[in-house]
Amino acid sequence: MNENRRQILEMLAAGKITTDEAERLLAAIERGAGTVGELKGSAGGNGDARGTTAKAGCKYLRVLVEADESMTGMKGPTTVNVRVPMQLLRAGVRLASLIPQQAHGHLDQALSQHGVPLTLSQIKPENLEELIDHLEDLTVDVNGKEGNAATKVRVFCE
Amino acid sequence: MIPSIAVLHFENQRWRSPRLWIPLFLLWVPALLLAPLAVLVLAGLSLAGGIGPWRALRVLWEFLCSLPGTHVHVRADGKTVQVRVF
Repeated sequence: MNENRRQILEMLAAGKITTDEAERLLAAIERGAGTVGELKGSAGGNGDARGTTAKAGCKYLRVLVEADESMTGMKGPTTVNVRVPMQLLRAGVRLASLIPQQAHGHLDQALSQHGVPLTLSQIKPENLEELIDHLEDLTVDVNGKEGNAATKVRVFCE
Repeated sequence: MIPSIAVLHFENQRWRSPRLWIPLFLLWVPALLLAPLAVLVLAGLSLAGGIGPWRALRVLWEFLCSLPGTHVHVRADGKTVQVRVF
């Protein structure tokens, strides 16, 4: 058993990290992402490897949309190409956490009126952090075709 | 790192703008001069909203610092808008 694995197992046995964290650290070491010290250090020194995997993996979320004019009703093809840094997504989540409690009701109502049935008070910052971390594994490819019209949507991390 | 340059580009069927390189770093000087006032306003607003002023300041700063790397390119109805932040 190599030294890094032994360290992780010792930390797990000592209760310094959870089984999930140990699993992530082991996976990161298998990928050659660094030593236990480096992984723990870059994750804030608390043994949380979630941030590390996201940082090491992908930096941007890319959204590509292509649609024919017959699909959109606009002149010429419509294309959208957006690249958003993962850090900006994280910052956006934290920014949303600044919304005062009093405003949650109004926002929920406005969002549901626009077809987004979301309850802001039920969204916890830690859940959103985890969601963003898991975006690394996300790839969405949609190829829609209706008659002669075609729409293509791609969402992925890079 | 806070954004230092933004590149804007607009285009329609009849008119096409040159690529506009906007040196955002030149805004740092007036921003620094206005910073004390901005901090006071932010502190007042965050206290009114029941949020810690330091937390609000930190979150806004993080948001600003994470903007570089953002690229948006939209073409629709014969018009094109492109925004890049470096």
